[in-house]
Formats: sequence, C-alpha cells, structure tokens
Amino acid sequence: MATDKLQIALYWGAACGGCDVSVLDTNEFILDVAAAADIRMWPIAVDGKYSDVEAMEDGELDLAFYNGAVRNSENEHIAQLLRRKSKTVVAYGSCAYMGGIPGLANLTNRDKILDTAYVHNASIETGNRVVPQPETRVDGKVLEIPRFYRRVYRLDNVIDVDYYLPGCPPDAGQVKAVILAIVKGELPPKGSVVGASDVALCEDCPRTRGEKKISRFYRPWEILADPDKCLLEQGILCAGVATRSGCGVRCPKSGIPCRGCYGPLPGVVDQGAKLLSAVSSVIDSKDPDEVDRILEGLPDFTSIAYRYSVASSLLQRSYQQ
Amino acid sequence: MEERKIGVYVCNCGTNIAKMVDCDGVCEHAAQQPGVVLAKSYKYMCSNPGQEMIIEDIKEQGLDRVVVAACSPRMHEPTFRKALQTAGISPYFLEMANIREQCSWVHDGGEAATEKARALTLGAIRRVQYHQPLERRSVNMCPNVLVIGGGFVGMTAALELADGGSQVYLVERQRNLGGNVARVDLTAPYLDSARDMVTALITRTMEHPNIFVFLNSEVGSLEGYVGNFRAVVDTVWGDQATSNEYEVGNVVVATGYKEFDASRVTHYGYGKLPNVITSFEFEKMLRAGRVETKEGKTPNYAAIIHCVGSRNREFHTYCSRVCCMTALKYAHELKSAVPSCYVSDLYVDMHAFGKGHEDFYRRGSEAKTLFLMYAKGDHPVIRKAEPKDGCEMLIEVNEKLSREVIEIPADLVILMVGMEARDDSDAVARLVNISRDKDGWFIESHPKLDPVATTTDGIYIAGACAAPKDIPDSVAQARAAAARILARTIRGTIDIDAVFAEVDEDKCCGCRICNGLCPYSAIEFNEEKKRSNVISALCKACGACVAACPSSAITARHFTDEQIFAQIEGVLA
Repeated sequence: MATDKLQIALYWGAACGGCDVSVLDTNEFILDVAAAADIRMWPIAVDGKYSDVEAMEDGELDLAFYNGAVRNSENEHIAQLLRRKSKTVVAYGSCAYMGGIPGLANLTNRDKILDTAYVHNASIETGNRVVPQPETRVDGKVLEIPRFYRRVYRLDNVIDVDYYLPGCPPDAGQVKAVILAIVKGELPPKGSVVGASDVALCEDCPRTRGEKKISRFYRPWEILADPDKCLLEQGILCAGVATRSGCGVRCPKSGIPCRGCYGPLPGVVDQGAKLLSAVSSVIDSKDPDEVDRILEGLPDFTSIAYRYSVASSLLQRSYQQ
Repeated sequence: MEERKIGVYVCNCGTNIAKMVDCDGVCEHAAQQPGVVLAKSYKYMCSNPGQEMIIEDIKEQGLDRVVVAACSPRMHEPTFRKALQTAGISPYFLEMANIREQCSWVHDGGEAATEKARALTLGAIRRVQYHQPLERRSVNMCPNVLVIGGGFVGMTAALELADGGSQVYLVERQRNLGGNVARVDLTAPYLDSARDMVTALITRTMEHPNIFVFLNSEVGSLEGYVGNFRAVVDTVWGDQATSNEYEVGNVVVATGYKEFDASRVTHYGYGKLPNVITSFEFEKMLRAGRVETKEGKTPNYAAIIHCVGSRNREFHTYCSRVCCMTALKYAHELKSAVPSCYVSDLYVDMHAFGKGHEDFYRRGSEAKTLFLMYAKGDHPVIRKAEPKDGCEMLIEVNEKLSREVIEIPADLVILMVGMEARDDSDAVARLVNISRDKDGWFIESHPKLDPVATTTDGIYIAGACAAPKDIPDSVAQARAAAARILARTIRGTIDIDAVFAEVDEDKCCGCRICNGLCPYSAIEFNEEKKRSNVISALCKACGACVAACPSSAITARHFTDEQIFAQIEGVLA
C-alpha cells in the first residue's frame, strides 16, 4: 500500500482498557491523527482484523502501540506479528512496560489463579465449575482458545521494543507529545523511556518536604491528610520517591499516594526494592519489636511496592514449584 | 567494555588457606576466565617477593587490573594497593577475594571450600573489570584546635598543642580551670600533691600566648568536617552573654566524669548517718587539714568501703579503676593525720594493676590497715551504734577469706564512689557527632589500635570521658591526642579517601529520604536548589544513603551498582 500517511496499529493485550481510553483522552487531537494516519488496526475503535495485519508486508506499519502485559498465547502472537509488520513498536502503558497490575499474578501461580477464577469462588454455581482448556472437542471438532501462560511477561520479554511510554494510563498530554515526536521523527535513542521525566515525582510535587521519620503507617482512609505536606512524611506510603515524574503528579495532587505507575528512575534495577529500601531507612525506631509494630501498618507490602513492577523486578515472579 | 588484562594471585597464607583450599585449582579456574591473562598461586602474597611478583607482572605483562585472593581486605588491601601504585597503575584497580576469613578458616576442608574460593575469586574477577581509577583529594587543615573541658586532661592537651604551635581554644563550663583533680589532695601511689600539679598547669595554661581560655563557657555548635570545623563558643558572665565563632581543624573532647551519687545506695545510710561520707567529701577534709567526725571529734575507728556504685549489676558493672589506690591513699592519710586511728578497708578485689601500685598495697598492709574482703554481689551493712559500743557506727561484713561474719566499729565511713559518665554526655556526643557506649562513655575508633580517635575524623577523646582512668593514663591520652593532631596539622592539608558517596544533582529530586540517615552528618540539604548533597570529606562510604536513595541519585564510588552486580553474578556463575 503506497501512501504518505503514517501507518498505525494499536493493540490491547492483558490490560484493563484504560490505555485505549487514554488515547481517546487526547480528544480532538485523535481526529488530527486519524486525518494524518491510517489506523490499520485498533480493536476498540477501528474495524481492522488480525488477518488484515497478517496480510501486510513486513515493515508495512510505521508505528504500533501495544498496551497491556503478555498473559497468554494470543497476546504473544499479536506482539510478534506487530513486531514483524511495524518499523517502530512502543510499549504503551505500565503493563506493556513493566507487567503492570496483571504482573501481580506472578506472586501466585497459574493453577491457583484458574482455581480462584473458575472453581473455588463463591460466585460460581456448583455444577458450573469448569476450568477452560486450550483445546475442547465439540462434535468431533477441536475448539481452541489462547493458552494461559504460567506467568505474566512484559512486552520486551517476548519481542524487541523500541520505546517505552509509561503510565497507568499514560498522561494524555504526554501521549500527544510522543505521537507528535514520532510524526516529526524526533525520537530519542532506541530503548528509551519516552513521555516521562528522568527525575522522581517529588521534583514536581507541590507538597512541602522535610526530613523523613515514619513512626506509623496509615492506609489512606485511616487519616485526614494534611493537604500541603509530603504524604510519605505523614505515614501514607507514597511511591513518588521511587517513581519517574511525567504524569503531572495526578495522584498526590488529589490527596492520593503515588502508586508507582511511571516506573523506576533511570539506573534503578528494581523499583519495589528501591522503595522498600528507602522506606525502611526512615522508620523511626531502632527497636526490632517497635519496627515490627510499625510495619504491621503496611499489610501486603510487596503488592504495594511492586504494584506495577513484579514482572520487571529482579526476581520477576515468586518461587513456585 | 574494552578487554581488561587481569592478573589473579591466589595466596596460600602458609597453610592457612592451602590446607583447606586447593589453591592451584582456584588458579586454574581463574585462568580460564575472560580477561584473565595470568593466574598464580604463591605461599605468602603479602611478603616482599609476593608483592614484587605483582609489580613485575604489571610492568612486564601490562596488567591493568589485579585480583588477590587471600585474607580480608581489612588486613592487606593497603599492602596490595601500594604494590599497584608502585607499579604505576591506580591502586583502586585492585580487588581482593577473602578466601581465608570467609572461606578456609570457617570450613573444614573438602571440595566445598575450594568451590567457594573459586566463586569468591570469580566474583572479584568480574567486579574488578569495572573498577575506576579514583583520585584522592586533599583539603585544607586548619591548625587551630578546640579543646572542650578545662580539667587536668584538657589543660595538658591544650599545652601540648600550644607548645607545638597550634592556636588553642580551651572551653570550660565552670568559672575555674582544674576539673575533678582540683578537688583532690594527694595522688596515689607516690603521694604527690594534686594541688601543686593542678596549680602549675593552670598557671601555664592561663599564661600561654597560644591558648585562649573561655571560662563560664560552652560550645554552642560545631559544624563542618576535619580540618574545617566552625565552633561557636557561648560565654555567660553575670547577665552578659556573648557568642563567638572560631575556625578549628580538630577537636579534643576532655569532658571527664562525674562521681557516682552515693545516696542512690541505700544500705550504707549515706545522707542519714552523718559520718558516712564520700571519697570527695573526705578529700575536702584532707585539703582543709582536719580529719574529724561531724561532731568535731577525732575518729578512733575509720572504715573505707570500696566499689560503691561500681562492679555491681544494680548501678554500674564496670570497675572505676582509681578507687582501690585512692582507698589505700586514704588509709595512709588517715594514719598520718590520726596515728591512733584504726583503719579498716572493706574491699571486693584489690585492683593494684598500675606502676607502683602493688608496692603501695604492700605498704598499706604493713601499716596495719585491716583488710576485709566481701563478696561481689554482697555488701557490708552499717548501723548506728549504741552508747555502750564506744563508737559511732557498727559495720557487719561477711568476710570472704575467713568465712566469718565480722563486726567492726567505725566513727567515720568513707564510701569509694566510682566514676560515671556526665549527665550531658549525650548532648556532647551529639554536638561533636560521636557515639557513646551503654554506660554513656564516648567510644573510640578502635579500643586497642586507635584509642583517642573517634569514628568522626578530627574529633579526639581523652581522659575519663571515654572510660574511668587514673591521672597517668589520662595524661598519656591527652598528649596522644595532641600528638595525633600535631602530626596531621604539620602538613597543612589532609588527604580525603577517594571512596565516598556522591549525589548526582540531575537525578536527585530532593525527596530528603537520605537527610536523616548519615551517621557522620555528611548529608546537607540545599534549600535553594532543593537538592541533597554529600560532603565528601565527612563521608565514610558506609553506603546507608546509597541504599536508601530511591532515585539511585547517590552513588558510592568503588561500590557502584555495576560493580556489585558483576560481583554477585560472578559468585553465582
């Protein structure tokens, strides 16, 4: 297909749909994109089929946005397909970038997940407890559904990724800026994180900061937080210290602690470990019992510290036989 | 990364390593690793021939990184670094694998010890490839010295320093110099006059042109780092308060001790029985030249009780070191003042460890002092006597050697109160940024090898502020601290280790996680830039802030993530 228009595809992997909505959040800008580009596949909005992509020449697409983690064989298949067909692939959003919320499933295992979803769950009728199988025989024919993997992967676990655009979802302004940069060909070196700052969220956070000493942790609902003071200093576990800025400080400005969706700072190997290391350094006690008591205020610290980054942590998954 | 030329040296340490670890096997394994151009095993790498081997190989084979698999780097890292330097490459191009303390000494042979040695060595090989040629820096060393405490120790240090050419600021809280020694009459064991010694010291101190004496003064704040401190001295005279700032390069803390409060011990009746007095109250009598009871009578019987507040679980478990000899001195002085007086000495153990002390003890025995030993954990009991007893008090003691309960008369009882840390030792420790032990005494850098230095460079402790001490030991420490300082100031500059933490300002977000973590107060926050900064001269490279920094904006030189990960991967390979 010979055209001057930018050839684009967008795909939704293991994701909630928020990333697709964030593209629409660019409002009328998306109409300009549609005018300047051919959107060849975008399951949520455009009528392009997998088979249309399969029929393309390799490298026919200029740009593919993949959002969501890689949870099953279908996700991986499309990721491979887009990689072949597109000159540039962007891991769009925290799930594609780091595994994201679906990556928390790596703290348990496939059998337990399927058991909870299809067998031992109060909302499932007895007699209807069926675990879906990859292959089902009906009337002598074989029906296939995607295979559910043992663990969740980041996009770059399965394909080569050109750029990473973090966020849960990415900030609409940043999305716009990245699309414009791509159109103009003004992109940083391959492998870069785009649409985000290289400094932690605190840099842009309007709350005042002092020395940190935490003698009690609060869940956000347990306290009426001071609107002007650093949330972490108030005992609310804010991941902003260990997270790239670029989101516009949406959460702390709304009184909600940062959850870390923009990912680790450049050079940080493990975002959750960094947050753990930072927070444990400022616990205001040297007495082991007292420290234990303070930490009891943080049930399931792993899920909080690694909310988006289990699949991109050093360990990537919990040890399961 | 460009290809390195690494030399690996495996030390046998005589048989220390070789008897548990197959050193040749470790060599063979190392020699196969990428980047390793030679691997050798030798009996004693730290010996001169061992060092020469490294130097020659660097020169002839063009090695640019060296791994020595031997003992702890605490032991010989300086030795091998020097060898690298001699050979003309950066001393930081060395990495040691500790296959002695962490391997041969803790395992009982077999293949496992050798396997571990291989792993540790491989970790070092991988790590050393990332080593950077760090450069040591030098900063200005101000020759002025602040001495905190104008007692015997403070004055001795001040005079030594001032004689050596330093400008000394001597700060004393009281209105007079002299401290606790000025409250003492004679000194044990030679019975020299403490008063004469103190007076001579005070005169010299006050008249010395290089010593500024601040009386009624305290150090309000101390900021900066070795060679470059700023001290604020607050002085109060009547209703006039002044505050001045001085630049000093080093600080001697000589704040001394306070005597144990005898009223905390209830069984001796101190405060209730008028003729039960403390050692310092007895010194006062001696200095006044009148040994008598509260009623003005000459005592016929005097008893001295040791270890009051010391060497028991209830108060202080430590020995106060000076009381035994002081007690013998009292026995002697009592006999001189009142030759007819019967003197009893109730002790737990007689600690006569110092020069001349045993002779002094022997002379005390010969002078017919009655020595009664009681058990640690036990104590004599004092009660008021009846008129028929012919004395003021009766003391009952379970005498340990005779195993008999003995009752002795007493008109005067002297309690040998021990030493304890001053009430404000915590505030002083925080002021100069040093640590205290469980009893409140200041902690030295190393109890044996570095007794007057502290973990804060430029802060020295001398005398009884670090633990109970007698005058000779305290004077030795005062002079040692002065000598240490003079030895460093004479150069005019001081080298700062090249290994320290540094903040990348472009990465720091000013979250301030690190601000309260530094045990050496090396981190400052720049309000204007909203950035934290590590003062490299104060940094000891402990890594607390490096680990805590959630942005990885703080890097410890020589302990970078790259180096540590390479080492871990090598060990696990």
